[in-house]
Amino acid sequence: MAEVRLVDIEKKYGSFLAVPQQSLTIEDGEFLVLLGPSGCGKTTTMRMIAGLEDITAGDIQIAGERVNDKPPKDRDIAMVFQNYGLYPHMTVRQNIEYPLKLRKVNKAERARRVQDTADKVELGTLLDRRPSELSGGQRQRVALARAIVRTPKIFLMDEPLSNLDAKLRVTMRAELKHLHHELGVTTVYVTHDQMEAMTLADRVAVMREGRIVQLDTPKRIYSDPADLFVAGFIGSPSMNLIDGAVQDGRFIAEGMDLPVSLPDRDEVVFGIRPEDLELADGDTPIKGRLYALELTGESTLVTMRAGKTSVCARGHADFEAPINAPCHLAPKTGARFYLFDRATGQRLDG
Amino acid sequence: MNERTLSYALLVPAFVIVIATTIYPLAYSFVTSFREWDLTKQLRPSGFVGLQNYAHAATESGFQNSLWVTAIFVVTSVILTVVLAMSLALLLRRTGRLHTFTRIILILPFAMSPALIGVSYRFMFNPEFGVLAKGLGAVFPALEGTPWLANPDLAMAILVITDVWHWAPYMTFMCLGGLASVPRETEEAARIDGASNLRIVFGIILPQMKGVLLVTAVLKTIFALKMFDQVVTLTGGGPGTSTETMAFFIFNVGFEWFDMGYASALAWILTIITMVISAWYVRMLLSERKMATA
Ligand SMILES: Nc1ncnc2c1ncn2[C@@H]1O[C@H](COP(=O)(O)OP(=O)(O)OP(=O)(O)O)[C@@H](O)[C@H]1O
Ligand SMILES: [Mg+2]
Repeated sequence: MAEVRLVDIEKKYGSFLAVPQQSLTIEDGEFLVLLGPSGCGKTTTMRMIAGLEDITAGDIQIAGERVNDKPPKDRDIAMVFQNYGLYPHMTVRQNIEYPLKLRKVNKAERARRVQDTADKVELGTLLDRRPSELSGGQRQRVALARAIVRTPKIFLMDEPLSNLDAKLRVTMRAELKHLHHELGVTTVYVTHDQMEAMTLADRVAVMREGRIVQLDTPKRIYSDPADLFVAGFIGSPSMNLIDGAVQDGRFIAEGMDLPVSLPDRDEVVFGIRPEDLELADGDTPIKGRLYALELTGESTLVTMRAGKTSVCARGHADFEAPINAPCHLAPKTGARFYLFDRATGQRLDG
Repeated sequence: MNERTLSYALLVPAFVIVIATTIYPLAYSFVTSFREWDLTKQLRPSGFVGLQNYAHAATESGFQNSLWVTAIFVVTSVILTVVLAMSLALLLRRTGRLHTFTRIILILPFAMSPALIGVSYRFMFNPEFGVLAKGLGAVFPALEGTPWLANPDLAMAILVITDVWHWAPYMTFMCLGGLASVPRETEEAARIDGASNLRIVFGIILPQMKGVLLVTAVLKTIFALKMFDQVVTLTGGGPGTSTETMAFFIFNVGFEWFDMGYASALAWILTIITMVISAWYVRMLLSERKMATA
């Protein structure tokens, strides 16, 4: 177990700056998720921690020790790859055993630990198969087993669930969470699935174009996004973001007229989550015509349009109305508004 | 005529040409291999002699010698070519300007015709004026004046080396193709698991290359079994009979001694040897596939 400290690390591929001057401290035993859209440098950051990629500038410390020049094998890390990276010519047993073998653990001890680990991830009966004879979820578990079998200081996981179907992903998510609780090993987890990030993380680092734009607990990332990018990225369905202007203490856009506490200015983006809106009658601050209805099971997503303005609200599962009918939405009591500068994405309120 | 019969009808010419150019000569040589046919005496094959031509092969020293020469040639050139090709592929796998450039010039040896290779190496190893002979002599004085192609072992070694020089680049490309399909993650996982570079190559990469290496080995074996052009132009089978490969010997039997019956029998023996070895490789390849995908 150990703390990981990235100090002003930078990565250039030729002249392309993939990760510029980034600092980040991952606490001992923490489950930290790197979250961001494709190509934002998540994998690059993780590979630098692993030592698979040289860093162009800065320092990486693991458990207080500078590891910049240490090869991956001396960093005492274990990594789970997006495509698992299982050894296709070895059986499941040999796959799990391989790191122990390389570290010259004796045979009896090896056999015991392989069995223990396999049982932990419920692979006990599949030990003599080859990876090609396993399902995606099973391969995933072999990759996990290979990572945990030698109890490293740090786990690195690069989108380990992305190749699984939706249902299995949810199951494996719970298993990962349980495993982390059981082992307590510092974990860095990469994903572009915000749901995965929210459910697994102690803290989430939201990345964009190589930079960490917000580092916080899932709760605060959700309720207090640092800027427009984070606000739009987190939440499903995502936050309503409406272009408009503030005049005389009111936010004005097509079909919208709401009191806000902000001095007058143009080019403002108003944000409100679908959960914070409700269907209402009469003279509501948000008015338009019904555009679409999507039943998700426990609720109905109601999309309303007024000119360029499009607003989504989470309504009751039984709600029904014809398309194009007049639609009235109002913020629930206690609903949170967010105001951003349209050009810079900066939060203007709070 | 409906479309279906028409499409068959259109195939007929191709069919006839294939039969005429491959099946007919094959069958003809097969029949000839059971007959006596001395071209110096008659223009057409004469009587059937049963297995006599084949029985002759079992004891005749010229053929025995060519079997042995071919065996040595095949084993050494296949092993050296595959090892060299695989090593080059591992070195050239990374991308970079130098790597790309090297890959391009690697095509040159393969683009040369084997006959030309033989002739040029023959000159280069001439003890009087050959560049290579002189160069080697200058660097290692002990080698000065070595009669390279006049020594049976050296002649064989040079034959093998020129063949490896010719084929290794092509096989390198095959290996590069194979390497590209080895997932990078397996190598990186091994590096994190604590494997040294050598272990990664032998424990992770090569096992995944088994199929490709087998295919290169089969191809190289088949080509080596048929070795002919360079023997003619480089060593002429000599000194003595020390580099008389089977293909070269069969040619001599047929077109120097004009014993077509015997030559046909020997050609069929070579064909059968090739088929048996190929079948053995294919079996290994299939069991390898089964392991990889079952
Ligand atoms: N070997 C490389 N050479 C050049 N550029 C690279 C290389 N690897 C990554 N990049 C670039 O660096 C940036 C970050 O890539 P990275 O793989 O870290 O993204 P990511 O956040 O993991 O994305 P994804 O979610 O798609 O996996 C991308 O713009 C990518 O094109
Ligand atoms: Mg990635």
